[in-house]
Amino acid sequence: MDKPRIKIHLVDDHPLVREWLTNLINRQPDLVVSGESEDAPHALQGISATQPDVAIVDISLKLGSGLELIKNLKTMQPDLAVIVLSMHDERLYAERALRAGARGYIMKSETAKKVIAVIRQVLAGKIYMSESMAAVFAERFVDGRLPASGSLVEQLSDRELETFQLLGRGFETRQVAEMMKVSMKTVQAHCAHIKEKLKLANAAELLREAVRWQENHPAS
Amino acid sequence: MLEYVKRLENRSRAVSITASLLLVMLIGALDYFTGFETSFSAFYLLAIGFSVWFVGRGYAVFISILSVAVSLAGDLARGAHFSNPFVPVWNTVILLAFYLAVVWLLAILKSLYRNLEGMVRQRTAALTEEIAERERLERELLEISEREQRRIGQDLHDSLCQHLTGATLAGQVLEEKLAALNLPLAADAGNMVELVEQGINLSRKLAKGLYPVEMAADGLMLALEEYAATASELFKAACRFDCDSPVLIHDPATAGHLYRIAQEAIVNAIKHGKAKNILIRLEAGEAGPILSIKDDGIGLPKPLPEKRGIGLRIMAHRSTMIGGTFSVRADDAGGTLVICELPAQTHSENPTRG
Repeated sequence: MDKPRIKIHLVDDHPLVREWLTNLINRQPDLVVSGESEDAPHALQGISATQPDVAIVDISLKLGSGLELIKNLKTMQPDLAVIVLSMHDERLYAERALRAGARGYIMKSETAKKVIAVIRQVLAGKIYMSESMAAVFAERFVDGRLPASGSLVEQLSDRELETFQLLGRGFETRQVAEMMKVSMKTVQAHCAHIKEKLKLANAAELLREAVRWQENHPAS
Repeated sequence: MLEYVKRLENRSRAVSITASLLLVMLIGALDYFTGFETSFSAFYLLAIGFSVWFVGRGYAVFISILSVAVSLAGDLARGAHFSNPFVPVWNTVILLAFYLAVVWLLAILKSLYRNLEGMVRQRTAALTEEIAERERLERELLEISEREQRRIGQDLHDSLCQHLTGATLAGQVLEEKLAALNLPLAADAGNMVELVEQGINLSRKLAKGLYPVEMAADGLMLALEEYAATASELFKAACRFDCDSPVLIHDPATAGHLYRIAQEAIVNAIKHGKAKNILIRLEAGEAGPILSIKDDGIGLPKPLPEKRGIGLRIMAHRSTMIGGTFSVRADDAGGTLVICELPAQTHSENPTRG
């Protein structure tokens, strides 16, 4: 008897993409598409019913956010390996997708050639991201910018840490200023210092680091 | 002078009537005291002209008759002698005819003047309306073009690119099938997949040009940073993006307009201002986000050429459309400073994390 094939669930709102992705995956002797859905609610239903090993998710869905779906899927079925397929800029979404619990991020323009290899890589327990994304991460790592490790964050003054945490909890500059009872200028100065100390390139990166830090240190 | 006349016109009729009567009396008195040999008839014209203009034609006729009567009475009272009793009657009739002719001419002049004034008022009103209408159209045009661009960009991104993705997947399946049959055509199929993949990337670039800012709230920060880098490379100028604390723009249309304002300002700075250094700043102001673009170029020419005027007006329109205030002025250092200040954002994302 053959080994049971690895089950894959597709979540994408474009029928053509689902159809041919199914075709491509089913050609593999050990892989099979066990189900497909076009939006988040159906995906949750289908996946809980069929218990696949892998879910391939487009993060822009007509109904519901792909990122939220990934988080929900990971809660529902922690061992599910999620791979994100997206037309969106990986610099904007790859990190978020991986943080939400995805194990791989493929740009749709590279899907045809890579998707099978990525499925196998993720099944082997590895994380996949494009070379250019990997290079960005590597650069940040070498610069000491990633991860915003405890030691770097410890260099922040109390007020800077407070700013960093409030930003991470989703408050905006003005709200942070109000909550800390200081001027906007002061918050901006704090941000400039935080960027310098954590070696962050820009405000967008600062925001992402703050959110990440907050997610990893929810108690603080 | 005209202003003075206007002010008199606004006085009440009673004042004008009294004034013209007093004037006739005054001139009559002067006429009387200077004797009958000196003629004062021209001076009565003052009172007559005044009454035509400020009271009315009928009243002016009355003043004319009164003037003639006062003048004649004065002359007779001073003991003027006429060789023929018909002479004073003749003189009086001639004088009255002359006065009435003046009244008639002045009345015509006045009505022409009134018509002209009315026409000017009408034209001014029409013109003001037309200007407002044109500005509204310009804004609408901008909104339509923006909306259409966004729609085409989104369609390219969401529809065409997805369709092409399906095509690459189909091509990949074909390639594998051919490869399974050991056919050399498999390589051709592989090439085709690559070509379509390039097509996807081209369409994405096109979509990006049409719709540069990604949906996420931090999209503008990333888009501006990327544009600063692209502009530096493209225009051989140092273009820097500066943003101290994170500025989130929750409305994609607002982010899009801010991006276009920055883009236009940078292109202007390079093309017209010959700037070497440009600083784009996005900051969280006391009220709302503030976008500013500062350059070290030659500044704005005076007067502005028509084309640049349009560019600036479009930036201002964009700013108006997102509820912001827009200003362009000379920077203290000599270049140009473009600022767009937004009010507090209505949609504030509730913190959900933590």
